[in-house]
Amino acid sequence: MNNPHHLNPTSLKSRFTTRFLRALTKIRAQKPISSSSPTEIFRRYRRIKVAADKSMAYSVRSRRIWSRAMLWKLRSRSYRRQDPCSGRRSGKTNQAIMKKSSNENTTTRREDGVGFVEEADELRQLVPGGETMNLCNLLDETAHYIKCLTTQVQLFSPIGKG
Amino acid sequence: MESNAGTLATRSNKTALEREEVAALESLQFTDEIHCLMSAPATDNASSFTALLELPAPQAVQLIHSPDSAKLIAAPAPNVEDFKGGFHFPSNGGLIERAARFSVFAGEGNNKSDSPEATSNNSSANLQKAVKSEPAETDSSQPLISDPTVENRGIKRKDPEKVKGQTKKSKTTVKESSDDTEKLPYVHVRARRGQATDSHSLAERARREKINARMKLLQELVPGCNKISGTALVLDEIINHVQSLQRQVEFLSMRLAAVNPRVDFNFDSVFTAESGFFMDSNFSGMVMPMMWPEIQLSATCLGERRSLQ
Repeated sequence: MNNPHHLNPTSLKSRFTTRFLRALTKIRAQKPISSSSPTEIFRRYRRIKVAADKSMAYSVRSRRIWSRAMLWKLRSRSYRRQDPCSGRRSGKTNQAIMKKSSNENTTTRREDGVGFVEEADELRQLVPGGETMNLCNLLDETAHYIKCLTTQVQLFSPIGKG
Repeated sequence: MESNAGTLATRSNKTALEREEVAALESLQFTDEIHCLMSAPATDNASSFTALLELPAPQAVQLIHSPDSAKLIAAPAPNVEDFKGGFHFPSNGGLIERAARFSVFAGEGNNKSDSPEATSNNSSANLQKAVKSEPAETDSSQPLISDPTVENRGIKRKDPEKVKGQTKKSKTTVKESSDDTEKLPYVHVRARRGQATDSHSLAERARREKINARMKLLQELVPGCNKISGTALVLDEIINHVQSLQRQVEFLSMRLAAVNPRVDFNFDSVFTAESGFFMDSNFSGMVMPMMWPEIQLSATCLGERRSLQ
């Protein structure tokens, strides 16, 4: 796929576009939609959403905490689906799961001494992998995450306009 | 840079001001210059400090509150209070000017690096003279420092490691602080006047400033955040923005899923700057009450739309 017009062939946007389009064509090739029943559509929606998340996370590689967390989540999800006893698959999976549960049950409030605890906690829930970040890193990750989300929205939004 | 600091530090008779200046200078990485200048000591004792201060200086600042002091650099006034008192520092007009300029930065982080660069060429000659005389001065005339406040600072700032000049932040205020001093060897953050200086509060202050810098970046990213003042509200706005972006992605991927797969992607057009996808789509099966201009959907609208499907 040559992109002569693109501004930067290695930018996040182009990397994400390539990956996502590839995944999308794969999905569409898999299930030629005859029926447009809501369940079918929903299933495809899920797959597309996962594909979008995955391609975004892979475009960012492991350079960011949130992308790493997202990749781990995706991998653990796929492992769990394939193999019910996925406990032995990877220690990191357990860690991720435990972290999630601990986040819901216990009140691991990070009092950073700055006084934005509630907002910071909310933000941590929004940004993938946010529970492990102190406020400083959280803000960094949020900025990058916002940038990536905006790229996604920009790419998706012209769909169906025609 | 460490070795330079070592050499400088070993001149134990240095005055506090000199150390500060050297630290300030070093922190801006003029160490090579200073080093070769220091290695060639020359004396220029003839002129007194005040005489040299009356050198034609481009800008003025009240460096010394003694009546015969010249104004060297224009800067926010309270910055350079340790030049208070009859501080005789011969042949160092240029040095002081430079140091004060470097060290004046009340919140002008970036500007500081610009102005010294600009003046460095101009005052390099002055600096040469100034720095050369510095070692001579320290050796010859210690009793020049008569000001008790300066003495005070001299006593407080004994650590030679202070001169290492790797200031943690790029701020090196030359302010006189009554409760100043970092006695720890590796804390190179300078406290401002009236602020507590134990290691905890310094570290906290550094953290807070990092956080504030990042908040500013985030404010630029999120539209409409510039007008809001108050960090909690800004954070709320950021949270709303992230939530809305996530919902948009969900909604758009749902739309993607609903589109009939008999489409022809025009790949080349995807990569042109603004066009995105062109799809020959067929919405036969799906009832999606779309209103395309409403791409920026609020949460409630999204909820309604989803419930309609």
